Order: sequence, then C-alpha cells, then structure tokens
Amino acid sequence: MNKSKMMALAAVLSTSLLCQPLVAKDFGTPVNTDQLMAISTVLASPQQYVGQQVTVAGTIVGVCEKRGCWMELASDAKFEKLRIKVKDGDMVFPVSAKGSKAYATGTLAEIELSLEQTQKYLEKLAKRRQEQFDVSKVTESMRIYQLVPTGVSIAD
Amino acid sequence: MTKRNRINWFRINRGLHRDIGYFCIGMTIVFAISGIALNHIHDWNSNYKIDKHIYPLKVDGEIVRLLSHPAVTDFDHQLSQLMLQTTKSVSPLKATYWENEWQFKAFLNDGSTITLMTDARQLVYEHVSPRVVLKAFNFLHLNEGRNAWVYFSDLYASLLLFLAISALFMVKGRHSPWRRKSLYVVAGILVPLFFILMI
Repeated sequence: MNKSKMMALAAVLSTSLLCQPLVAKDFGTPVNTDQLMAISTVLASPQQYVGQQVTVAGTIVGVCEKRGCWMELASDAKFEKLRIKVKDGDMVFPVSAKGSKAYATGTLAEIELSLEQTQKYLEKLAKRRQEQFDVSKVTESMRIYQLVPTGVSIAD
Repeated sequence: MTKRNRINWFRINRGLHRDIGYFCIGMTIVFAISGIALNHIHDWNSNYKIDKHIYPLKVDGEIVRLLSHPAVTDFDHQLSQLMLQTTKSVSPLKATYWENEWQFKAFLNDGSTITLMTDARQLVYEHVSPRVVLKAFNFLHLNEGRNAWVYFSDLYASLLLFLAISALFMVKGRHSPWRRKSLYVVAGILVPLFFILMI
C-alpha cells in the first residue's frame, strides 16, 4: 500500500469515527411501559416503591454535563423531579436531550444521607441553581430517592 | 538443526514488537488523551463547551411586567417567548419547566437552555456544544459503544501486554532489562504497588 492510499484509509477511518452518531436514544434493556407510573405518585410515598421496578416518564430537565451519568425527569407535579442515576459509563445521557421526553424503567433506590452529606448535597444543589445557601440552617439529615434504570428511551 | 537454520527468536520478537507498536500508536494516542481528559473532567469539561451569557432584566421590561400578572392566559408560553426575544434565540422552543417558584427554564431545540431567575432579575442563556474530537475519544475510552469495540479494546489490551513482555527481550548486553536497567522495570512495578498498599 503506497503512502497516499494509507493516508486516505486513515482519513476514512477517522471521519467515520467522528461522524458516527454518538448520541444514543435507547439505553439498556427495552422500557416496560406496562409499569408506567406518574412521578408524583412514586414520590408521594417513595418508601412503598423502594426496591421495586417502576417505569416513569417526564421531560428531561437536567443532565450531568460531565459524564452523562444522571438525568432528571420533571414530575407531573409542580417543582418536582426524579433523578435517573447510572454508574459512570453504564449509560451516557446526552446533554442535548434536555427538553425531550424520556421513559425510564428501573428500581427505586433510597439513599440515607448523614448530616454532613445532607449539607454538602444541598450546598451543591443551591450552587447549581445559583441560590444563596446557609449551611448552618441545615440541622437534619435527609433521604433522597433516585431511579437506577435498566432501560431508558429518549423520545424526540 | 544447523546454526543457520535455527529460528532467531530475538529477531522475531524485535520485529513483532516494532510492527505491533506501530499498530498501537493510534489507539494509544486515543486512550492517553482521553485518559488525561477523563481524569480531570471535574476541573475541565472535555465533553462539552458551555457558553453562558447573562442578561439582566430591565425593571420596566416586558418580562418583569408579565411576571407581575401570573394569572394571564398562557403565561408560561408568553414568558418563554419573551425569553427567546430577549436572548435573540432563533432555535424553536422544545419544553419549559418551573424548577421552583423563582426559576423558570426554557429548553431549545439546539440544546440551549434559558433560565429566568426572578429573584436575581436575570436571564441566563447557556449553550452547550460538544467538543467533537475529545468527546469521540472519551466515548471510546469509556466503552460507550459496547459491541464490537469490546473485542477490539480487548485485542488492544492483549497487544499492550505483548509489548510490555516483549520489551524485556528486545535488548541484549549492557542495556538489557536483566542487568542494571532492571531498576527501571522494578520501579515501574513498585509505583502502582505503593499506591495499592499505601492509599
């Protein structure tokens, strides 16, 4: 193979790598829409659903901008959302999906935070929302709930 | 077997090490660059470039006026249209969301987000654009593609193992890794061992 052929092959390979669709729309196993539940129902009594498999749907209102390891779905209730969290690399949610509708099937997990973790969590949240935060006002620990998905589907 | 017909393992090893080394150049560059990028992803986002622009709201502006009449019909739609006008965004609106009582978000088709912060009296326009090459490198490094890439990266890992082992038999004599230069080999083993035992 002469030099120009080699260069052409390298160009084709690198172009095909860069042009391939890096934004997936379906992740993991197929979503089970038979188990579809309103996020507000799940979050109204989360203890009831911890460890159980549920399917939720909502507009994507937040995506991890660094690793794409979580996204947040807006609830049908005002000012409420549910985080869909995966291990780094298991699924990589595209930041461009913000505003699209997504379906997620998975297990609801409860995370009990210590007081220090609660303070850090709320501080981070306030920073992201660009809100004022006074750590001394947080005196009680909290629990958070998130969905660990087996399958996610992003609609247009 | 005569001396002439004897297989020259030293020569074969050197040849294989050289050619496999050439083959691994591309993959090594991808993994090395993305490795650094991913190690420092909390300091610098190698996947996306995020441009932010802040628009302070005018006290007598249309948005502030509309906010004082939250009961008007189609309030959210009107508000989002004013946000698009203020930020001179041309991309169509995809969805809107009230984060809380004082934060309203408008998501646009081009991936941008406009956040209205009523308490701070400002609009924050955020445009996210992917860093094409680095994102592609990270995509490969984190094995997001799965499928065939798994087999190819397994092959690459095996080739790296071969390069490491064959390097021990590349040089004879004074600079052989079995003599004084073995200190380098030992140091390369001790460094990861130190981290495992001490951290």
